[in-house]
Amino acid sequence: MAKTILSVDDSASIRQMVKLTLSGAGYDVIQANDGAEGLAKAKGAKVDMVMTDLNMPVMNGLALIKELRKLPSYQGVPILFLTTESDAGLKSEAKAAGATGWITKPFQQDQLIAVVKKVLG
Amino acid sequence: MAIWQGKRSLQVVTLALQGELFALEAGRVHEILDRVPVTEVPGGPVFVSGLINVRGKVVPLADLRMKFGMECTAATIDTRIVVIDVTLGGEIVSVGLLADKVYEVTELQAEVLEDTPRIGMRWRPDLIRCVGKRGRDFIAVLDIDKLFDEGDREAVAGNASAAPAQDAA
Amino acid sequence: MSGVDPTETFRQEAQELLEQLEQTLLDLAKAPEDLALVDSTFRALHTIKGSGSMFGFDAVAGFTHHVESAFDMVRKGQVKLTPALADVALAAKDYIRALIERPDTTAAEDGAAILERLEAAVGSTGAGGTAAAAPKAAMAAGRAKWQVKFWLPPNALATGTNPLLLLDELRGLGEATVTPLLDRVPALEDLNPADIHIGWDVSLITDKPKSAIEDVFLFVLDDMEIAIDLVETLDAPAAAPKTEAAPQPAVAKPAAAKPEAAAPKGGSGSIRVPAERLDNLMDRVGELVIAQSRLKQVAAASRDAEFKSISEEIERLALELRDTTMGVRMVPIAQLFGRFRRLVHDLAHELGKDIALVTVGEDTELDKTVIEQLNDPLVHLIRNSIDHGLESPEQRLAAGKPAQGQIRLAAQHTGDKVLISITDDGKGLDRARIQARAEEHGLIQPGAKLSDSELFQLIFQPGFSTAQQVTNLSGRGVGMDVVKRTLDSLRGSIDIASNPGTGTEITLRLPLTLAIIDGLLVRVGQGRYVIPLSAVEECVELPAEEAGRANGCSFLNIRDELVPFLRLREMFKTTGEPDRYQKVVVVSSNDSRVGLVVDQVIGDHQTVIKSLSKLHAGIGTFSGATILGDGTVALILEIANLVAKGQVREPLKLAS
Repeated sequence: MAKTILSVDDSASIRQMVKLTLSGAGYDVIQANDGAEGLAKAKGAKVDMVMTDLNMPVMNGLALIKELRKLPSYQGVPILFLTTESDAGLKSEAKAAGATGWITKPFQQDQLIAVVKKVLG
Repeated sequence: MAIWQGKRSLQVVTLALQGELFALEAGRVHEILDRVPVTEVPGGPVFVSGLINVRGKVVPLADLRMKFGMECTAATIDTRIVVIDVTLGGEIVSVGLLADKVYEVTELQAEVLEDTPRIGMRWRPDLIRCVGKRGRDFIAVLDIDKLFDEGDREAVAGNASAAPAQDAA
Repeated sequence: MSGVDPTETFRQEAQELLEQLEQTLLDLAKAPEDLALVDSTFRALHTIKGSGSMFGFDAVAGFTHHVESAFDMVRKGQVKLTPALADVALAAKDYIRALIERPDTTAAEDGAAILERLEAAVGSTGAGGTAAAAPKAAMAAGRAKWQVKFWLPPNALATGTNPLLLLDELRGLGEATVTPLLDRVPALEDLNPADIHIGWDVSLITDKPKSAIEDVFLFVLDDMEIAIDLVETLDAPAAAPKTEAAPQPAVAKPAAAKPEAAAPKGGSGSIRVPAERLDNLMDRVGELVIAQSRLKQVAAASRDAEFKSISEEIERLALELRDTTMGVRMVPIAQLFGRFRRLVHDLAHELGKDIALVTVGEDTELDKTVIEQLNDPLVHLIRNSIDHGLESPEQRLAAGKPAQGQIRLAAQHTGDKVLISITDDGKGLDRARIQARAEEHGLIQPGAKLSDSELFQLIFQPGFSTAQQVTNLSGRGVGMDVVKRTLDSLRGSIDIASNPGTGTEITLRLPLTLAIIDGLLVRVGQGRYVIPLSAVEECVELPAEEAGRANGCSFLNIRDELVPFLRLREMFKTTGEPDRYQKVVVVSSNDSRVGLVVDQVIGDHQTVIKSLSKLHAGIGTFSGATILGDGTVALILEIANLVAKGQVREPLKLAS
């Protein structure tokens, strides 16, 4: 059965790119616009990996990661966050919140697939 | 139960329940709707077992046929919902009443408005304000607030099993 | 998802960014010292550069990089923002726009000309440079043997790291021999199965550089213990084996955590708004949310991609609006607690008692109207506590307690509720007297056996009061039933727990908001219901063997935990055939987990809560109703009551 990835980002272009790339690589992709919607989608479906931007309205990525890690069903589920080159401080904050790894923006399609394979197999 | 003192006539909306004619004070009637989807409330009182959407408001739907122990036949093309204002525990609340058919708004003349006789009434006399006559027909004027009075509601756990499947839109 | 091109979406997003950028640059020209504007410019350029290269607009990325560097120097104070620089920036912005809109007809020379002007304006040498990070210089090829010894931090599994994948990646680098290290695994009784204590020792023969090995551990490198040692080189002439021990501390210290870069505009004033206007605003927003969910439904069934994307946009805006307006009404409970300090002080003084007031969770936020309505009930409860619960200093000393009594007011969020508790360390409730009083009033049969919480609930009946003396303050029996009614009108509940001699704790449970919640829409038979999302933990399938059974004490095994479940079809006496594959929505209620069996989980739903009339409010299992996208009404489940009712029907042992 295909693995399901939840992609949370307030940029429509990034969401589309992620969906096209990852579904092309054989994953099922669900999307959300912001952290709150992401949390709702995560609770309502069985997701194998979460990918989230950090800077989003309503609920940002950091808060989303923390909320996800509170759920027993999301223990052990890989969570990746998007970051830019300059944000070393955010990386450690996100990891402290329970993130598994990161993808640096801007990223190419093959980089995206490589990172997903790294944490999801 | 002498009412209508000093009044010459009463504006009423007449409706039919299983062939029997009833009337409601027109002043209390908000609007009359066609059939709409009904959501059942599990565990609700037997004769107010559903909720409907009236332009964005959630309104309880009552089936008076249950109150009067009538047969509850399936809805027809003539079925309507009469939305009225009911005083419940000191507040005014909108409630919908299911009717098999709704007729025109009429005036019942003062002379023909007789107080409800205690005996000889087929339907529960305490729920009727009075009986009027129009042509050959007897029309019972319903006591709206009494219908929904606390002590009168029989809440039964579980679905209103006697109600037929409420129609979907 | 045919027809929607991310590149096209990028173009639109870029247009918006460029328009904003133009405004910012114009503002900057008038206020060149404004650092916030400089920062804003830099970030916009940075985003355009990044997204540009992501979506194949390399020319855009390359060009923008130079402008971005220039502004980076300005914001670092290395270069001043001159009118000339601001001018060039505007020209650059126009050029970027042209590159995006008309990539084929835009001349590269124009761009070069602008960059020259940029260099001149910046006045420093070498504003140019290659875009993006220089590729890592590959180290000399040639195979070598490495020894990689590592331990992951114990919580690595919980944060989603999969050591098997790491080992696979190492194997992908060359020939690997893997040996597990078990010396750190604690004894069984001390072992937390969610932790990882196994280490690994890997001999790896590879022609890849050390950095490739480190890259495998990229995400955990800072938190783990690892040593990568070169044992020997195999192909190149023998180099002295270098031992590079690089043990890392097991716990990462986050670098000075930068708070989210929210640049607050200066001057946060506030204005007074009549509460009625806020209520009207909330009503409008509620209607907007309903209309928007209908739009969403229509859009879901449509094939028009543009329509769908507009609908998504409107959804985003509606939800933001909802959250902002709801946030406007949320007020910390501190203002309420603050008033009580005076109350406690005066009362204590009047009665000759020594009482300290402790407050916890003052910054817990509640809807403004709820706070206002809570004032009277809380005052009454505190008065009761002081008058009847807390003893005089002499009585306390005689009982071996400190002379000073304590009242503790606490507020906290939990799930979808706010919990407010009033705890005193007084003499507790007199069970026998309450029982006697209840029998006197005919509320219970003489000699009836009730649990503590059932018995204490009788206190809320009108006219009930066990006070020997009716004091000035309380004992007239008009207080507690008003408290209960107020709580009912707020859709809240109240619980009393008490220990004779030690004290009493009263807990109020209130919904977080009266207006709009996030819900999970489910179907049971033909009816649809909403479960407050904050109570939902997860959804699982109902195992086939359970599906057949109609009733009986039922438990699910979820990750080795027994979770009891309720069949909603049964509770709601649903007719018709159940779905073949039913689902279980696991919710948390009062610190325990319960599963609710439904026919179908439909999805998340923004729910505008409509109150139920008196005709239906008394049932208890439903906290309200809402209108779905298709115009029909759905009931909102009141989880705590539902579970309690379920317990009464089939006594459930709730797993803690």
